[in-house]
Amino acid sequence: MPVWFEGIIPEHLAVRNAVGIFDTSHMGRTVAKGLEVEKFLNWVVTNNVSRLGPMEGLYTVMLKPDAGIVDDLITYKTSDERFFNVYNAANREKDFAWLKENSEGFDVELKDVSDEIAMIAVQGPKAEETLQGITEEDLSRIARFNLARLTISGLNCMAARTGYTGEDGFEVFVLDCPLSDPGKALSVWNGLVEAGAVPCGLGARDSLRMEAGLNLYGNDIDETTNPLEAKLRWVVKFKKEGGFIGREALQRIREEGVKKTQVGIRVTGRGIPRQHYEILDGDGRGVIGEVTSGGMSPTLGYGIAIGYVPKEHSKRETPVKIRIRGRLVDGKIVKSHPFYDDSVYGWKRERS
Amino acid sequence: MEEGEELSEEYSIPEGLYYTEEHEWAKVDEDGTVTVGITDYAQKQLHEIVYVELPDVGAEVEQLSIIGAVESVKAVSDMNCPVGGVVTEVNDELLDSPELLNDDPYGEGWIVKLKPSDLEGDKVRLMDAEAYRKHVAEAVH
Repeated sequence: MPVWFEGIIPEHLAVRNAVGIFDTSHMGRTVAKGLEVEKFLNWVVTNNVSRLGPMEGLYTVMLKPDAGIVDDLITYKTSDERFFNVYNAANREKDFAWLKENSEGFDVELKDVSDEIAMIAVQGPKAEETLQGITEEDLSRIARFNLARLTISGLNCMAARTGYTGEDGFEVFVLDCPLSDPGKALSVWNGLVEAGAVPCGLGARDSLRMEAGLNLYGNDIDETTNPLEAKLRWVVKFKKEGGFIGREALQRIREEGVKKTQVGIRVTGRGIPRQHYEILDGDGRGVIGEVTSGGMSPTLGYGIAIGYVPKEHSKRETPVKIRIRGRLVDGKIVKSHPFYDDSVYGWKRERS
Repeated sequence: MEEGEELSEEYSIPEGLYYTEEHEWAKVDEDGTVTVGITDYAQKQLHEIVYVELPDVGAEVEQLSIIGAVESVKAVSDMNCPVGGVVTEVNDELLDSPELLNDDPYGEGWIVKLKPSDLEGDKVRLMDAEAYRKHVAEAVH
């Protein structure tokens, strides 16, 4: 995927206002199957996969024993004995090795299918309408985070009502489409472009997910952050049967209290925050944290940042400063999940 | 014609200006004032400029020192001053309309005006249009 086709801003706005498509075939994907697949996944991820019915998915994280995040991922249950996991491209080898290593002793078989399935994200308020144009089955019946087998452009596909932009949309999996022979993916892609979807690159993917307040692994979360700091408490099911890797360490952190917490910052002065810029208290006296993702929000027209600060600085409207190229620029803590008004933008928006 | 030279035809490089290796330009006006900006090549590399940081009027700057920054959605780029001197004017229009740098880098997208302190001395370290064209061709190559 290039950084942009036409430009980051027009691509970003196409997704917020209409529909854009992303080639996300580089993402890591694994099929896990076997009699104990549910038990195994519940051991390696923090969320509770037992609550999933067939063709339902959930967002979760995998932890190291010290509660550091190995990766975030979506896991779909395709049948009682078969799950499909989708995770970050950059962690493809690491995650597969981690799953493999921790599957020992479970009756489960793992297969990396990343190079056999193409993946196209169709995102935006017009995503359903656009994808419906080349799909036989009724897409309105697919609920958020659910998966369906579909015939798209006459091809065998699966699609999940998920994405990484904050908007409604689908992640389409073009089955039996090896990297060496991408013809099927191209016909789906071209069909979507003909139906009016705007091809989008990595730049818009990053600015869209940032506005939606979604973590980027390697920036906002990594092996040194735990889900309690990263505002991911909701994906951790402490009480599920059998526990999970990292539970004891995370329980200790929970009892002792986290030392830092993730926040969203709106820049109210002039400047654009970037990764690794220092966050200072409202008086600009002391450094209290660091920006983990930052940029100009094309939708909002001002600089936004995700970062970590001590809990006492994390309340909304708390003034902070960001050191931008030597200058201290005013900002404040704001709601960041998402940064935009979700009655106007995003999948929860009020339909007119 | 070499391949790189062909590619450099995509970039506007007006005659009569002085250029830096870092893709800034300087134009000597009739009254001796120097106007400074970034080149067409620079704006095309940055793409979609969304923010400009300007120096203060009255600031004394040395040749090739950093006087501000230009930011696109993805990247930050320092702006070096092609000539030393005192800043007499800054283009405030850029604060609200940074896209002028993309639309008209040698015109409405000018960045600062200076009263040079040693123009003749500074020129030695600058390129004319022909030399800069080769420099861009190499960068593209």
